[in-house]
Amino acid sequence: MLATLALASLLRHRARTALAILGVAVSAAMLLDMVMLSSGMRESFRGLLLSQGFQLRLSPKGTLPFDTEATIRSADSLVALIRARPAVAAVSPVLGGQLHFPTTGATVNATALGIEPAVQGDYELVDGRHPVAEGEVVANDALLRALGRSVGDTVRAAAGYDPQLRTLSGQRVLRVVGRVRFIYLAFEQRAAALPIGTLRAMNGPASADRASLAMVRLRPGADVARERVALERQLRTVTVISTVEAIKQVDERLSYFRQLAVILGAVSLVVGFLLVTTLVTVSVNERIGEITVMRAIGVRRWRVVAQILLESTAIMVVASPLGLALGLVTARWLNSILARFPGLPERIDFFLFQPSAAWTALGLLALSGILAGVYPSWRGASLPIATTMRQEAVG
Amino acid sequence: MRVRLPFILLVLPLGVLSAQSAPTSARGLPQDGPRSIAIDGRLAADAGLRVGDRVVVASEPGVAGDTVVIAGIVQRRADPAEIARGEYRVRLHLDHLQSLLGYGDRVDRFAVATRGGAATADAVSRINDAAYGFRAHRSADVAVETSRTFAVVSRFHRAIGVITIVASAIFLLCIMLLKVDERRRDVAALRLIGCSTRTIVGSVVLEAGAIAVLGSLAGVAVGGAASWIVNQHYQAVYRTPLRFSIVTADIVMLAVSLSLVLGIVAGWLAARRLVRTPPLALFGR
Amino acid sequence: MSVIVDARGLVREYRMGEEIVHALRGVSLTVREGEYVAIVGPSGCGKSTLLNLLGVIDRPTSGELSIAGERVDRLGDSRATEFRLRRIGFVFQRFYLMQALTARENVELPLAEAGMAGTERRDRALDLLDYVGLRKRERHRPSQLSGGEQQRVAIARALANRPALLLADEPTGELDARTGAEMIALFGRLNADGTTIVVVTHDEELASAAQRVVHMRDGEIVG
Repeated sequence: MLATLALASLLRHRARTALAILGVAVSAAMLLDMVMLSSGMRESFRGLLLSQGFQLRLSPKGTLPFDTEATIRSADSLVALIRARPAVAAVSPVLGGQLHFPTTGATVNATALGIEPAVQGDYELVDGRHPVAEGEVVANDALLRALGRSVGDTVRAAAGYDPQLRTLSGQRVLRVVGRVRFIYLAFEQRAAALPIGTLRAMNGPASADRASLAMVRLRPGADVARERVALERQLRTVTVISTVEAIKQVDERLSYFRQLAVILGAVSLVVGFLLVTTLVTVSVNERIGEITVMRAIGVRRWRVVAQILLESTAIMVVASPLGLALGLVTARWLNSILARFPGLPERIDFFLFQPSAAWTALGLLALSGILAGVYPSWRGASLPIATTMRQEAVG
Repeated sequence: MRVRLPFILLVLPLGVLSAQSAPTSARGLPQDGPRSIAIDGRLAADAGLRVGDRVVVASEPGVAGDTVVIAGIVQRRADPAEIARGEYRVRLHLDHLQSLLGYGDRVDRFAVATRGGAATADAVSRINDAAYGFRAHRSADVAVETSRTFAVVSRFHRAIGVITIVASAIFLLCIMLLKVDERRRDVAALRLIGCSTRTIVGSVVLEAGAIAVLGSLAGVAVGGAASWIVNQHYQAVYRTPLRFSIVTADIVMLAVSLSLVLGIVAGWLAARRLVRTPPLALFGR
Repeated sequence: MSVIVDARGLVREYRMGEEIVHALRGVSLTVREGEYVAIVGPSGCGKSTLLNLLGVIDRPTSGELSIAGERVDRLGDSRATEFRLRRIGFVFQRFYLMQALTARENVELPLAEAGMAGTERRDRALDLLDYVGLRKRERHRPSQLSGGEQQRVAIARALANRPALLLADEPTGELDARTGAEMIALFGRLNADGTTIVVVTHDEELASAAQRVVHMRDGEIVG
């Protein structure tokens, strides 16, 4: 009977109910997006870092991976030292640099990663094979497009310029053996990967035995935190960061978005709360006569409150899936905007959908909606019956 | 063309610079005393350094460096490109840094002062044609490139703004509908005493407009306060003088006119619905 | 015949700003089972206040009141609500039906509140609508019913839980003469079937249909 009455009351004011549902749905969508934003980046980044199974990253002392142009000296012996540790399963050294591809129009520049193909964790092969031999290279679509090349073609590349000799330095003809997707690079960033030895040779003596980064994969069951400390103690010239710390660093850099998410999420909640409060208050004021009569004929106070709360809950229940769908669509849109964020891996999802995020958002909204209805409905159900009926009769 | 190179700016990793406030070894000192450097305010604050302190700078950890004296502490510019970057900045004399890094007679970039728009275009074109291995960029283009982060954030904000406007429109329409609905008896009485629907709709729309204007003015005040808080907060978080949020006259005009239009449309829709209902039905009879 | 209403020295005072309004000044009234009593008097004489006290929707400032053998003048809110549900039937001048519910659902409301199961509740509601002559209008909402029909639904609702006492506040006040007469007849039939009725009215015809007429003036029973 309560449900019938609640439903009938909602259907009595269809336009109002529809607008309330729409309003709550937009609030729910915004809230969901903000909950997704606040936790999505972290989770997505964690997934990205762990996608290739490397738990530790070594970079030159005091730096973050690829944050500066600093490199690690005596990289080969350092890698050998790390590989000798019993807890270590694999070490992947990476040297970062630039490649310049002279074309008929202008020179095409690209990020270059010198890697060891057998253990690399920087790209996924889309087509072709890994660059295992000297002079072989793999590239992403953005670079291949700019060069007008495809797998199987050769391309002339240089590692730098020599202004005095007015010539490109470290020139090589490279064979494109694969098309790849880089995991940690930004949107539309042109990039190529080639054996670390080839890139070092192209760069000249300055890059000899150097690496920008080394990624370490530990054996199953190894204690990541302990191994991190041990490595840092053993290798004085590097900073060792674990996935947790890397996430913390990214968290700090992107704290703006997390804070924005909290603020906008709170605003969405308040808007949803205000909307439901206003609606329930007006609805109760409008039906004071009915409510008082219900009380007069013996309907208990909590039942009256429950009936009114049922109305706000019904709005929430209908609006929630709508908000969920709307939230996912807007999240996709907002994500496509933030995917262009400079310097961040394109594959980071700012808005990562997690069922827990959806439940949190909808739970918060449902709770706020119910709380929003409590006061006006309790006030309505607690009015003195005789006085209210007399006033209603006059009104 | 005059080349100005008083200092070159180079980013050094935190670990590269080790700081000591006590007198240091004289190794590497030129005969006429230590060279001077300038450090940024963040480093000075974090490491407790002051003008006149002596520190050792080295190109890599574990390498013997030079003892230098801090001659100045510089404040960072309000540069969007520096937001969220945690590293410190140290300014050295060019020749000093070149020798410290073993760079020889090399630099990463030149800054060139020109005599205005046409001269800039001419300089860019001549450098790009003649100077092999160099690429000249206008400062404005560099600024656009370095503020890409903010361009993305700005687009994101605009998108959030669109969602907020949609939510506000629904909220306002709902509130106006409820508000007008609450006055159904007044409206019925007005119609029974002979007031035209035009007068009634007009009065409701006027009321809606007034509420929208008052609400948006209150919103501007709240927005101004929020903007101040945002600036204080993020300037402290990112340690930059950059202003993150600015309430401009254009923004105020947009907010007020948008809410006015939304309020009037919502009031009109709600009032029209009410005047189409027979007065006795509005009385609930 | 047992006593249904036993009111002794009921006083009800309201504070209106600085002033104290003496709505009832020591009213004593006894109504026996099966009686049909009409309370009449000029506006503001306190008859509706008395009805509110008898209906346990208000509490006297002083005095004692027993309904169907139970002291009700000091009942707490939840106990008073329960008492109204089981022992009192209310009919209001303005009917006060739930606009969102059908005629049958309106009658079912107090039955549902009393915990009666669905089918039984529905049958009882239909029987009551049948009793007041509105069985065929069970699916209609209040807005689709005439004033007289709405008042009949309100009476069916008031009778739902077989109350010990049926209270009616100006039940013909909103009805035209013909419908009012039908209502008077219905009250007569109800009383003949054993319902104890106390009705507050200005309507002389309704009052004259009662077995006993109680006159009130300035918060006191004067005859």
